[in-house]
This record gives sequence, C-alpha cells and structure tokens, in this order.
Amino acid sequence: MREKSTTIYLGPQHPGITGNMMVKLQLEGDTIVKAQTHVGYLHRAFEKLIERRNWMQTTTILCRFCVPEPDPPEAAFALAVEQIEGREVPERGKYLRSLVLELARIQSFMLWYAGQTGSAGLYTVGQWSVGDRNYVLDLFEELTGGRIYHMYIWPGGVRRDIPEGFEDKVLRTMDYIEKRLDDYDRMMFDSAIFQKRAQGVGIINKEKALEWGVVGAPLRGCGIAHDVRKDNPYDAYDKLDFQMGIFEGGDVWARALVRRFEFRQSISMVRQIIQNLPSGDYLNKMPNPMKWTIPAGSAYGKVESVRGEFGFYVVSDGSDKPRRVHAKGPAYVHGVSLLEDVLVGQNLADVSFIMNSLGVCPPEIER
Amino acid sequence: METTFIKEELLFRQLETAFENVVLEIARKEAVLVYAPKELVAPILLYAKEKLGYKSFSHLSCVDWIENDEFELVYILWSPETKINLFVKTRIERENPIMENTDTIWRQINTYQREIREMFGVEFPGFIGEKEFILEDWEEIPPMRRDFDTLDYVSETFDERPGREDKQDVRERIANRSGEEIPDFAKKYSRE
Amino acid sequence: MYNDNNAQTIVEYIKNFTRKNSLFMLAYGTGCGAIELPATLTSRYDAERLGVRGAATPRQADLLLITGYLSTKTLKRVIRVYEQMQDPKYVIGFGSCTINGGMYWDSYNTIKMLDKYIPVDVYINGCMPRPESVIAGFKELQRLISEGKADGATKYKENLDWYRENQKKVLKNWPLVEYNW
Repeated sequence: MREKSTTIYLGPQHPGITGNMMVKLQLEGDTIVKAQTHVGYLHRAFEKLIERRNWMQTTTILCRFCVPEPDPPEAAFALAVEQIEGREVPERGKYLRSLVLELARIQSFMLWYAGQTGSAGLYTVGQWSVGDRNYVLDLFEELTGGRIYHMYIWPGGVRRDIPEGFEDKVLRTMDYIEKRLDDYDRMMFDSAIFQKRAQGVGIINKEKALEWGVVGAPLRGCGIAHDVRKDNPYDAYDKLDFQMGIFEGGDVWARALVRRFEFRQSISMVRQIIQNLPSGDYLNKMPNPMKWTIPAGSAYGKVESVRGEFGFYVVSDGSDKPRRVHAKGPAYVHGVSLLEDVLVGQNLADVSFIMNSLGVCPPEIER
Repeated sequence: METTFIKEELLFRQLETAFENVVLEIARKEAVLVYAPKELVAPILLYAKEKLGYKSFSHLSCVDWIENDEFELVYILWSPETKINLFVKTRIERENPIMENTDTIWRQINTYQREIREMFGVEFPGFIGEKEFILEDWEEIPPMRRDFDTLDYVSETFDERPGREDKQDVRERIANRSGEEIPDFAKKYSRE
Repeated sequence: MYNDNNAQTIVEYIKNFTRKNSLFMLAYGTGCGAIELPATLTSRYDAERLGVRGAATPRQADLLLITGYLSTKTLKRVIRVYEQMQDPKYVIGFGSCTINGGMYWDSYNTIKMLDKYIPVDVYINGCMPRPESVIAGFKELQRLISEGKADGATKYKENLDWYRENQKKVLKNWPLVEYNW
C-alpha cells in the first residue's frame, strides 16, 4: 500500500512544543520528510524598547529575554557594556556573578530534566526535579528578591551583597540536590525507555554542527570542545576548576550525558565559589543612573548558558540610551534553521523530544 | 599594554597583507575590527573561514545610522584556535539597501538575513527564505528602523487602560491611605 | 418538580460545585508566566489538590490561562483556541502585561488590554506572579464559579460584535471561520 503524505501543524498550542512556536511537518506515515519552523508568537520588540530606555532601565528588560534562564542575558550585556566603558569589576562582584550564573544553570538543568523526560513519557523525574528546583529559587529570592527574574547582574558588578548566613544555605541546598541527582539518574538514564528513545535520535554530526554554528551542549555532544567559560573566560571562571563534558555521538543521548556531567560540575563550582569568596566591594558603582552615559563604541559580550553561547552585540553612540542591542541566544541557532534540518527523517513522536534536547526556547528567538 | 596583543597583531598583519581597501583596528583584547566596503565582505568571510581558521559564525547584526543615511552590517566571527572575535563591518546606503547574500558561506546566516530583511528592510538578492519571519501582516515600515516610532504606532493601534497616562506619583496617596510613613530617603526619588 | 425554585437552586449549586472543583487548564504557554506553572503544578505548591490540572486540547479544557503579554500574532491563535473551547469556559489573565500592558506599554507588537479582545474572569497581577498568587487566582475563580458569577463566556456571546470589532482593529488579515455556537 502506498503511504499517504500528511501535513501537520505542531503548535503553537501543543503540549509537546517547548514554548510558543509552531513546526509545520510533512509526514509520510509517521516519518518527517519536511519541517518548517514558524516563530514570532512571542515577539515583544525588546530591541526596539531598549533603544527607548536609558542604560539603567535596560536591566528590567534584559532578564526577560529568555525565561528559563534569565541571568545569562544580564551577564552578557553587562560584559559588553564593561568592554565599551572599560569598567572594572571588583573581585567579589565577579565571584558573586559566577555564583548566580551557576545557580541559574542548576535550576535550568532541573527544568531540562523535566522537559526531556516528560517528552519521553516519564513524568516522575519532572515532578521531582521541578519540585526541588524551588529550593534553588528560594536562594535566588533571598539573594535578589525575585524567584525568576533577578535583575541582579549590573554593569560593574552585582546589585547587592549576599545576606548573612547565605553561604550555609547554598551549601546545604547543594548537598540536597547532589543527593537527589542519583535518584533522577536512576529514573532517567537507567530507564530502558529513555535509552531506547534517546540513542541514535536527532543526530548532528561534527560537520553539520560547525556549518550551522551549533553551540553549547549539542556541540560538546558531538565531540567538539567549546565552552565560553573555558575559551574566553569571564567573571571568575578562570579561577575555578571545572571540566567540559565532551561526548561522541551527537544524538539526544550524548547531549543528555553532557548535561548530566555538567550538572555535577556546576554543583562543584558553586562549592568552590563559596569557599573562595573574596571580601571587598561587590559593585563598581556607576554615576547617577539617570545621567549615566557610555562612550561611543561597540562590543560583543558572550556567556555560556545551559543551552549554549548567549551573546549580546551592544552599540553605544555616546548618549544615555543604547543605540542598538542585538541578542543572539542558543535557540536562535538551534530552533529555526537547524531544527528544520535535524527533524527530517525523524519520527513524529520524537519532535518535542529533540526540541527539548536542543534547548529550543522561543522567547529568545524572536525577543 | 602592547605586549598583550601578540595574537591580535598577527591577525592584523595577515588581514593587512591579504586585503588592500580595508581599515583595521585592534579594539581591545580578543577583538579585531575590519571596516570593509560591501563588495569585500564575502571575500573576507571566505578568507577568514578557509585561511584563518574561523570555522564557525557567531553573529550578524544591523545598526541603523539614520543621521548618516546608512545601515551598518556587522559580521562577528570567532576562531576556536586564536579565540579572537573578528568584527567585519560594512556600511550600505539606507535608501534601497542591498547586501550580498552570504548564506552559502555559513548556512546559519540564513536565519540572521531573514530577520534583518524583515526588521530593517535590507534585501539580500538570491537568498531563499520565507518572507515572513517574526511579524505577521506587517504594513508599516520595517519596525527596527529608527524612524519607526513605536509609541505613535501604539497610541494609534491599541487602547490603553486609563490611569497610566498621567504619570503621577501616587505613592504618597497610597501611603496616606494605609497610614504608612515614607522615610525621607525615599521621598527624594519622587518625580518632580 | 423541575420548575420548583428550590430544586433549580440545588441543581445550580451542584453544577457550580462540580465545575469549580475540576478545572482543566489548557496547556498553552502564551508568554513568560508559563514558567511558574510547572512549579505551581508540582510537589511544593501542588495545584492539583484544588482540582486544577492540565488538558492537552482546547476542546477538553475549561480554563484558559493567558500567561503574560500577547503579541498580535498569538492573539489570533488565542481567540481561535478560546472559541474552540466548550462551555463552561473561563479565562485567567496572568501578569501585569495582560492588565495594562505592564512593561510592554510602548511595544508595537503586544496588546495592552486583554479584556477588550476576550472576556477575562480573573486577573492575577505581578510580573511574574508567584505560585502563591496563581493559586490565589484559582481560588478566586472558584469562588466566582460557586457564586455563579464567572460568566465571561456568556458575555462574549452576547457582545460578540463589540469583541469582533476590537479584534479586527488589531488583526488585519482575518481568515478565521465565524463559529456559530
């Protein structure tokens, strides 16, 4: 019997889609022959709005670029502004930044656990990890005042110092999470369902990865050692001892192994930061924020988020407002053209599985 | 300071000998700027990819310099060997902007070109990509151009809930209502 | 018996009681507030004890959460989703940006007042609302349902022309089928 070709619009309202976007799929049987991504459902015109705000007011917008991990955009923007302005960050500020970035990675890893297993039908891990994620968010709340959006990293340092007794709480939370990691792994990596679903699915080989400019865990999952924290160290990362997780294969399984490895690295890094936290100033204060101008120039600041390199191209014309701010998140690379390419030949049931593994996060694609 | 820029200097020399009509600048550590005319952008990108080890592409951005009547396109490359960011900048005229299609060099550029075509109206002849990327049924001028006034558009298209437009400081009224006292340091930030 | 006033009150009471305790929420994360929903639905806050849980399709859902700003492109889909949902249906507007535009007050692509386009039963303020306030919003909706005051859907049907006019003002190309209920 001849197979009939069908067209399916997956999203924007679909429980498997990671966020608010749409993939138009042409199927033969349940094999995808052509995929077309449609984005733009979350376009808020952030880059236009930033041109209307002064430098200080951008902080409220920056964290909203990417919802699952709001700190990397702040850090990347701060790095770019510091490069243009030549502003030094005090040592303690650097360490606190790294602390927040690593905690942000940890909470994002926990969301990823939920998404990756949930799209394979294993809901238990998601219930656990998202429940445990609240403990990390509690830390954020104590430190910054917000659960999700922190507005903590400013050009020149961080907004405030850590409260009293915070170090102990961080260490206790890390101990708890590390204990729980084994439970997650037993439910996820030891599960035959997950192994069968993940191995050999959504393969990106080395050549394709370079051609498409893949970043982050998908890149390290196909055996290429690239991590912004190692290659162009920012903040306190040149003083921390950590390794990149590099695995061969380029499939969903390899990417999962990378993240599993890096989760543990992040926990160890948080401990190192707490142990080596220097004393001193945490913020190199800017002048009156309402009259704060940045000299003309341009810079590209980049940090490593969970899903990959997060970059900000910032242009200043010497006034109190940014001339142009252009963000490039990992999902911008993974979620539009690359996804169209990777999905061809895969099963319909694996679409959201692959999307989760590539870290497709629509709010940062269209901004 | 000069001694720390050894690898940047090396890249500078290589580009200087390979291309004549370009202006080079070492902006800061691990950042080298190339100002090139628009015909030279594709050759520079190709040269960087094949000879200088710039294996993957990092970013393509567009800046509107409305006072000079120009768009500035910025191609940012990153080399895994030297760890230097290479910024290739070119200016094109703002009226009827056309730029060479470069998505054959790195396929990733496809997405960026789609965005820039939609947000700035820069055309890339010979470029295959869906016309609509982020916006839907957009009838105005491309929205990221600086002469597009978003506030005007908003007041024409959308209705705002009353209560936002007067921009009054209501903190004192709220404080009076609830019997709370505003400390002196907080008062000085009120709008006056 | 059926026309007896008392009997109707009892039927009404039972109807509202059952409706308020099994709110199936459509899994459509329209904006950034959706990130607090996993936290609300999992172990610490556990909204399922209130009878709130996810539903995959609009036809089986009772509750539409607009989790934040709506771009005009999404508004089109949201209206379609809302009209596909079957009675009884309720809408919760989630976050400051649904109330008055919030921090997106000067953005050319997001709507500023959600209740001009679809009827909203409960607003939750905050940017973004914490799980506690989300649960408070659910409780408020349950109170309205049990008092029979959550009548957004009837309002929509009665004033369809007004809503359509507002919708068409923002959405230029309108290929939507006109549903007849």
